[in-house]
Amino acid sequence: MLFSRRQRYSRPWTWHWLIAAACCLGAPLCRGADAVPAAAPDTATVDARARARLAEAIVADELDLQLQVLRELGGSGADPLIGQTLTAWRGGAVYLFETNGTRTPVLLDTQTDSEGRARAIRVADGALLAGGDGQGLLFTANDLTSADASSKLRRAIKTALDLFGVANPNPKMRRDAVVKLGQEQNADYLPHLEARLKIETEAEVHRALQEAIAVTRLLSDDAATREAAIVELGALRSITSLVFLKQLLTQAEGDAAKYGPATIKALRRSVWEIENYLWWGNLFGTAFRGLSLSAVLLVAAIGLAITFGLMGVINMAHGEIIMVGAYTAYVTQNLFASWFGKGGLGIELYFLAALAVSFVVAGAVGLVLERGVIRFLYRRPLESLLATWGVSLVLQQLFRHIFGAANVQVTSPSWLSGSLVIHDVLLAYNRIFVIAFAFAIVAGTYLLLTRTSLGLQIRAVMQNRAMASALGVRTDRVNMLTFALGSGLAGMAGACLSQIGNVGPSLGQNYIVDCFMVVVLGGVGNLVGTVSAALGVGVTDQILQPWLGAVLGKIVVLGAIILFLQWRPAGLFATRSRNLEG
Amino acid sequence: MKNLRLKFLILLAAVGLSAGARAAETVKVGVLHSLSGTMAISETSLKDVLLFTFDEVNKAGGIQVGGSKYMIEPVVVDPASNWPLFAEKARQLLEKDKVSVVFGCWTSVSRKSVLPVFEQLNGLLFYPVQYEGEELSKNIFYTAEAVNQQAVPAVDYMLAEGKKKFYLLGSDYVYPRTTNKILKQYLRSKGIPESDLVEIYTPFGHTDYQTIVAAIKQFSAGGKACVISTLNGDTNVPFFKEFANAGLTSENCPVVSFSISEDEFRGLPAKDLVGHLGCWTYFMSIKTPENAKFVGDFMGWLKDPKVTGVDYKVSGVDPKGRVTCSPMNLSRMGVYLWKQAVEKAGSFEVDKVRTALIGQKFKGPAGEVTMQENHHLVNNVFIGETLASGQFKIIKSFTGVAGEPFSSKFLK
Repeated sequence: MLFSRRQRYSRPWTWHWLIAAACCLGAPLCRGADAVPAAAPDTATVDARARARLAEAIVADELDLQLQVLRELGGSGADPLIGQTLTAWRGGAVYLFETNGTRTPVLLDTQTDSEGRARAIRVADGALLAGGDGQGLLFTANDLTSADASSKLRRAIKTALDLFGVANPNPKMRRDAVVKLGQEQNADYLPHLEARLKIETEAEVHRALQEAIAVTRLLSDDAATREAAIVELGALRSITSLVFLKQLLTQAEGDAAKYGPATIKALRRSVWEIENYLWWGNLFGTAFRGLSLSAVLLVAAIGLAITFGLMGVINMAHGEIIMVGAYTAYVTQNLFASWFGKGGLGIELYFLAALAVSFVVAGAVGLVLERGVIRFLYRRPLESLLATWGVSLVLQQLFRHIFGAANVQVTSPSWLSGSLVIHDVLLAYNRIFVIAFAFAIVAGTYLLLTRTSLGLQIRAVMQNRAMASALGVRTDRVNMLTFALGSGLAGMAGACLSQIGNVGPSLGQNYIVDCFMVVVLGGVGNLVGTVSAALGVGVTDQILQPWLGAVLGKIVVLGAIILFLQWRPAGLFATRSRNLEG
Repeated sequence: MKNLRLKFLILLAAVGLSAGARAAETVKVGVLHSLSGTMAISETSLKDVLLFTFDEVNKAGGIQVGGSKYMIEPVVVDPASNWPLFAEKARQLLEKDKVSVVFGCWTSVSRKSVLPVFEQLNGLLFYPVQYEGEELSKNIFYTAEAVNQQAVPAVDYMLAEGKKKFYLLGSDYVYPRTTNKILKQYLRSKGIPESDLVEIYTPFGHTDYQTIVAAIKQFSAGGKACVISTLNGDTNVPFFKEFANAGLTSENCPVVSFSISEDEFRGLPAKDLVGHLGCWTYFMSIKTPENAKFVGDFMGWLKDPKVTGVDYKVSGVDPKGRVTCSPMNLSRMGVYLWKQAVEKAGSFEVDKVRTALIGQKFKGPAGEVTMQENHHLVNNVFIGETLASGQFKIIKSFTGVAGEPFSSKFLK
């Protein structure tokens, strides 16, 4: 446990003492029993020597020596202090401590006292700098001069650090480091990369190593090696290498005599293979993105499909009810953080609770809205438009007052961050979640409307209020519940959208137009229509975007919708709705 | 003995009275920032810092003109993020309230909207927010960063870091479009081929960055790529969330944002932005005694906001989680430069103050600034790396960069 911690965090202060203690305890034992293998002290001496060299290089004002030492360091890299020193050096945080004309490079500890002073750690041996009285010396960054690093030197430091990265215990970091090294196309790295390839067990890093080695070999003077690399990259479908292959292809075509027709042919083939692979990847990527945008639209619009579609209330406050849901998610997150601490299970699970809570809260807001305003306006749709718009302004200003004008931060739980990568197509987890959620919410609404007695009553009231009333349905109560249901769904949408966009008082305004667009396009009062319209708009938008850009793409989609509605004013699926007809 | 003490007391009272009488002399100063609507997020902070600075000036004795002391009396109006209303409010400040100077505007469109009013009525406006340049009015002093004080140094830094491919992403309005136009020209002059320059715009309030991030992912697959972002305000949230989810980091593809300062950072997902870069003429993390004083005094003032010496009621100040940022610092610089110019000119008259302003120097939190003849500042430029705390770690600084509004002058 302690050991792994030592590797992962840079906490020089704690672990150095631990090592020192371990050495003190270990030393007599080693001396006593000769049979104990001397492996540990060995690496320690290597590290110590490397550190001493590094310290020497930092003090020296000679660029050549510094670069030389950095190259030497490249292969090693087990010692975290060296990595730390290099990172600090690059960022100008290695300081020179001067006494009696000698300069000692030191690092400042991350822990500072109340005056911002920190203990200094000697680069050469990791010990703390002490004054004449044996007390630890304390400095602020301003007390000391920092060791300069020119941009050339900084790049060399970066290279050395990248080589360390190849040995990083974290596979993701390792992979990033390997990819970067490949992009350098520097033959000096080849031995390091090949050595690692032999022992690498993670599939992803293994692949990255293969790519990096092949990309580097593209510059090889040996035609056979070069060709093998070209073929390998094609077979690997390596997107990273496409730029390099194309570069080489242009060169080879310009100088056909040097490269020979076989190389050119292999290059063309590999480029074609990768581009073909990319084309398919883009196709599936676009399909996924279209689906995910559709899901977002659908989730946002489904509440409106009920309040506006089924009930015929032109509900301009729909966006603000989404906002209520998003803020509820924010409050839930904060409550969970204060109950269960900032990390851990609480924050991982708050989101599920937030979905439920925001349904209830937004439903309650909807209920109040219906009882307080909308029920007086059922026969006057245009006035309900104005009234709900007024309500939306009031809600916005209210939330601005309570939570401030700035956006609030809703953090995503870790299971909603990151993405699934299948054949270089990115499927972000939060997007997958929204798609699944859209399915669930549509299925739920459908079942509610068709399989429950409340659903039956809702449909009855919406189709013919007078008749439903005559048959003993309490239409007033059904109206109230339907509006609350629609608002609750909008609230859940808000919680869901808080994982994708930002949460602020103007959140609702960003969605309201899209919501109405989807519901109207789908055909007012028709759930299937809403789903189809969301799919249509989402996918079309994502297909157009790469060609036309986000702005023009949106305009084209809007224009197309207007034209479509000219042709079919009732939308995709026309339903007769008595409410709207008067 | 007793007599002496009495005399002393009378003397004291007299001094106090005369000081009191003097304090009655005030000069009206306009504050033209949106306190409601979409821009309220950013502009409210500028209103706060201006009131703080007025308090600072008044506390230190006000403005000395012709042997008498003038206290600054703020006239705060709310143009409500409504561009035509900016012009109306500006007219009201100049004609009705007869203010000597106005500090205000954030967006370029609001500045363009008030410009004719200031020119017609010969008013004086200080504009504190980074902008696209290509404008010079004799009635406006731009304490803001010009393109060559923000975008160009940032791009220079990326070039020095070995970046060869540039993805220029912005919100669709005048500042990003003009800045990117200039940047593209600049990058071309540095030998970056057209194929390695991508220019993309998204509408205000855009929330769906999937396609763009997927494109960036492919764009950066071959390495040495970076994103130059002029995305405005809260569209940054979905962008950076998507960016992080796609596995892109500041290591494999850094984003340099020109519109994210410490103040904007308060509403952004901190962990997704760590390591990305910002470029401004001031960072809250700058270590100078002037900055320590500015930050400390401002935080103290927020807890008990008032403007000393005048009858003005400060309201709507929220002291929670406040920071300082470049536009705020530049707003404050504007007040001090104006004060010095007025004292030099010995008059509040716009024409005299304008002449006196040229060449004014002030040692601010980020070093000394000088007002040039082209109404822009000579200022220090810093590039900072975002930390999880919402602060920037300065990784590079350029000293004494002279602001130049016209790109034709710095593009060769």
